[in-house]
Amino acid sequence: MGSIVEFHGVTKRYGKTEILKELDLKIPENDFTVVYGLPSSGKSVLLRVLMGLEFPDEGDILLRGQDVRKRPPNERNLGYIPQDFALFPQKTIFENIAYPLRLMRRPDGEIRGIVQRAAEMLSIDDLLGKLPTQLSGGQKQRVAIARGIVKETDIYVFDDPLAGLDFKLREKLFDDLKMLRERLSSTFIYTTSDPLETLSLATTVAVLHEGRVQEIGFPEELYMNPSMLSTMEILGFPIANTISGTLVTRDGEVWCETGLFSFQVEQTESGEMDEGNGQVVVGLRAESLTPVENEGESLLKAEVFLREDLGAEEIVTLDFQGRVAWTMVQTDVDRTAYDLGDIIGVKIESGALFVFDARSGRRIGKGKGTLHV
Amino acid sequence: MESRDRKKRIKRRLYHALLWIISLVFFSPILWMLICSFKTKDEILTIPPKWIFTPTLQNYIGLFHRINFTRELINSTFMSLSAVLIAVLVSFLAAYSFSRFKPKGTDLIMFILLSMRMVPAAAVVVPIYLLYAATGWKGTYSGMILFYAMFSIPFSVWILKGFIDGVSPRFDETAIVNGGSRMHIIFKVVLPQVRPGLIAAFIFNIIFVWNEFLFNYIIGGKRTITVPVGLAQGFTVGGGIQWEFVATLTAFYSLPLIIFIFFFQKYLLVGMTFGTVRGEV
Repeated sequence: MGSIVEFHGVTKRYGKTEILKELDLKIPENDFTVVYGLPSSGKSVLLRVLMGLEFPDEGDILLRGQDVRKRPPNERNLGYIPQDFALFPQKTIFENIAYPLRLMRRPDGEIRGIVQRAAEMLSIDDLLGKLPTQLSGGQKQRVAIARGIVKETDIYVFDDPLAGLDFKLREKLFDDLKMLRERLSSTFIYTTSDPLETLSLATTVAVLHEGRVQEIGFPEELYMNPSMLSTMEILGFPIANTISGTLVTRDGEVWCETGLFSFQVEQTESGEMDEGNGQVVVGLRAESLTPVENEGESLLKAEVFLREDLGAEEIVTLDFQGRVAWTMVQTDVDRTAYDLGDIIGVKIESGALFVFDARSGRRIGKGKGTLHV
Repeated sequence: MESRDRKKRIKRRLYHALLWIISLVFFSPILWMLICSFKTKDEILTIPPKWIFTPTLQNYIGLFHRINFTRELINSTFMSLSAVLIAVLVSFLAAYSFSRFKPKGTDLIMFILLSMRMVPAAAVVVPIYLLYAATGWKGTYSGMILFYAMFSIPFSVWILKGFIDGVSPRFDETAIVNGGSRMHIIFKVVLPQVRPGLIAAFIFNIIFVWNEFLFNYIIGGKRTITVPVGLAQGFTVGGGIQWEFVATLTAFYSLPLIIFIFFFQKYLLVGMTFGTVRGEV
């Protein structure tokens, strides 16, 4: 599968602030690529530059193999679904969806057919006669998506289209969007700042952080095996726990010592250790931190500090002698939930500990063996 | 329980009565003007005022027999409509630019623009007179229309910028991505969404230009005379005030504006708040 969009060293500045910093990105063809990043990480700017709404200060953009750096937006032939719907309040749903076709001066009969098909795909064909004010948020978003796809092109750009919709609606739209991509067999480029949305929608995830693509890959791969600290920190919910540590050599083996525990480090092949410094950050996902009933096998003790009930799960904030960490526990009916102030035992598998260089944020290793408290 | 309800009801009735009285006090000059326009001169001046009289249309007939009245009325209508239309169009384009391109110092420019309207008219009348006398614009239609347009622009830009700010730039982008031109965006995408703002700007300025006296008096000429100036000139004849003329002319002249504002009054609030309170419009 070749890449249909390529960014090569793209830099975009607003005044003196660099929003995109020599960004490289290759978006595979016929794929659902989610550009994931925290709010104001440059996602929207990335899309704006791709669509030609703004031109990059440096770097090249290849679209379908052609350099489009200075090409105006209408020559790029992209379908666009903006963030805040942008439905014309005075136009009917039909006219809203038909808008791109009207601009292309397509004949009436043709427009009717295309709009009808798009509306059916998104199950909004019964709303065509209405005005946007008569629609709910989810319906409006479907209309915006329908308007985006009537162009019948091969690349569709979604700028965080589900932001502001409630959770249930979003989950429903997840499936529809995935099916839509299959049916259109085209490339979807989608931005969001929601980790769950990213992991459920994407076939490829590009993690954008501080104006650069930190990592790109399959969602499970990035989640289970992150190679950058920023990926681990931001991709996931609740956010991953981090603790700073130091690398030391003991009997020819590399160990990582944090204030709470120490463990042996298995270096990644490419991960070079900064010997002079040895300062690292250890990352641990909330679900890898398991509270245990049996006091005997527990290694760490922590105080229950905060509880956040999510229904089937609960996020428990634990206090390890002044250091705070999160864990995710299933709330069973028969199990007694923890009380604030309880002292509980916590187990950590050393294999779930990722070690990153403190300065570059690159992963240099993983924990192995048993954890020493 | 019941007595408290009754007390509340009476209290509310009293409030309403008070509101009505205040409104009527403020409305009384207009009422006086309307009544007088149907009275003869003698009836107007009778003390105590005559409440029961035979209404006459003689004053209105007399109004149209005045030599200049038709010309004044045409001037007023033509100049205020054209000046305000020019002003609204220019302001709309300016407001679009301020809202979307945000040129450096937008806030300062916007402030300076509005500050023109904070200066009392009498303070600028002399420099403007000199300017108009020097350029030969004094007493010309184009000169007057441009002046009124210029005077109407600041406020309109403020109102319209508030409205255009409320139209998401995503609309513009959706249009651009699909091949829409800038003109298409301005007139087909943004304009239909800020119609209440355009109406508000139109109303505010038409009120001002329609009633404007000072500048027409100073920088206007015989040809461009409007009704307010005509009123001032025909006010007295032989040392006596022509009350029936004043009443009739003002009643007749206010009518179009009153009707107009009655139908579009909801836009007045929009104008006074620079488009920040949009409510139902």
